[in-house]
Amino acid sequence: MKKQEEKIDILLRRNMAEQLAGVDWDKLSTAISGRLDKAQQRKTSAIGLPTVLKIAAPVAAAAAVVFVMVMIKPERTDDTQWGEGRTATVKLTGSRGSASVAIIDPADRAHAQVDIAGKNGTPAKCYVRIIDSSTGQKEDGIRPSWFMISKAEPAHADNGANQDVMAIIYLF
Amino acid sequence: MSIGGEGILVNEARKVSNAGIERLVEASRRGNRGAFDELVRLYQRRAMQVAVAVLCDADEAAEAVQAGFVKAYLNIGKLREPKRFESWLLRIIANTAISQRKTAKRRAEAAKAADCRGQEKRTFSPAETAGAQELREVIQRAMLRLSRKQAKAITLFGLEDLSQEQVSEMMGCSVEAVRWHVFRARQKLKVWLKEYLE
Repeated sequence: MKKQEEKIDILLRRNMAEQLAGVDWDKLSTAISGRLDKAQQRKTSAIGLPTVLKIAAPVAAAAAVVFVMVMIKPERTDDTQWGEGRTATVKLTGSRGSASVAIIDPADRAHAQVDIAGKNGTPAKCYVRIIDSSTGQKEDGIRPSWFMISKAEPAHADNGANQDVMAIIYLF
Repeated sequence: MSIGGEGILVNEARKVSNAGIERLVEASRRGNRGAFDELVRLYQRRAMQVAVAVLCDADEAAEAVQAGFVKAYLNIGKLREPKRFESWLLRIIANTAISQRKTAKRRAEAAKAADCRGQEKRTFSPAETAGAQELREVIQRAMLRLSRKQAKAITLFGLEDLSQEQVSEMMGCSVEAVRWHVFRARQKLKVWLKEYLE
């Protein structure tokens, strides 16, 4: 048993020796150096990019949020009542569905679950995220908050082809 | 077991003190390219030993070594302990070689198919097959049939001057697990290389 293990080792060693005997080490060194040069060049040219991205990404994201908000801002219904702990009904523009929204103080809860009535009247659910704007003007004593529906509702809560709830961003 | 020992290769890095290596690593981490080139010179033979052991082909191994050194160069800033440079580098080389095995496998299978066609005209006896080229192909096929962990374990385990603890650290498993992989690899090689062990 032991002898066979030794034979395997000898065989592997012999193969290793034969493989390495023909290696041109200088050539290998030069090849590695060439690859490192290329890697260094790529690295150098990529250094400036993250800084640009760091600035550009938030700006682009903010612009996109404002754009989406303007484009698909839903209407409020007349019976909307704003205030902590109260409920509000939002009517979605161009949509047959509606959302029953519980207004929750962003300081208390970052996430809230919202029932959205599907076109067949069956309540569906999606998740919303409330982000306190903290700088917005108070409206009826309530500071405005960003209200973002961040997860698509089930298919049966179809709100119309042009009104995907996932994309709704609503400003109180 | 010692692959690549007994005068086959001199480990250049052994000629330099640990402090010297650490200085080179620190300088490389600061972006000193010359220091990294020196590390390449010191460790390229060691790296080739690992890659050849995994791939059983010098050309494939050279490709893996080049790619491995580039990875090491780009990530040397992440190496927290310069004294562990050797283990860290050899792990990168071994992983690169292991992931290159797919390509090597395809080439070996193509070569095997060509051999099968050739065998209609001529059949090699084990003695004949034990020539350098044939031996390489037989061992390569056998090594490629091993699992990644087994191939890596038997390769690193066989390197001179590498302790079992270092191998286990490089493989990210216990010494016992390394021994088990080596045991399983040897068992399989015993079967696959049976004709050449007699």
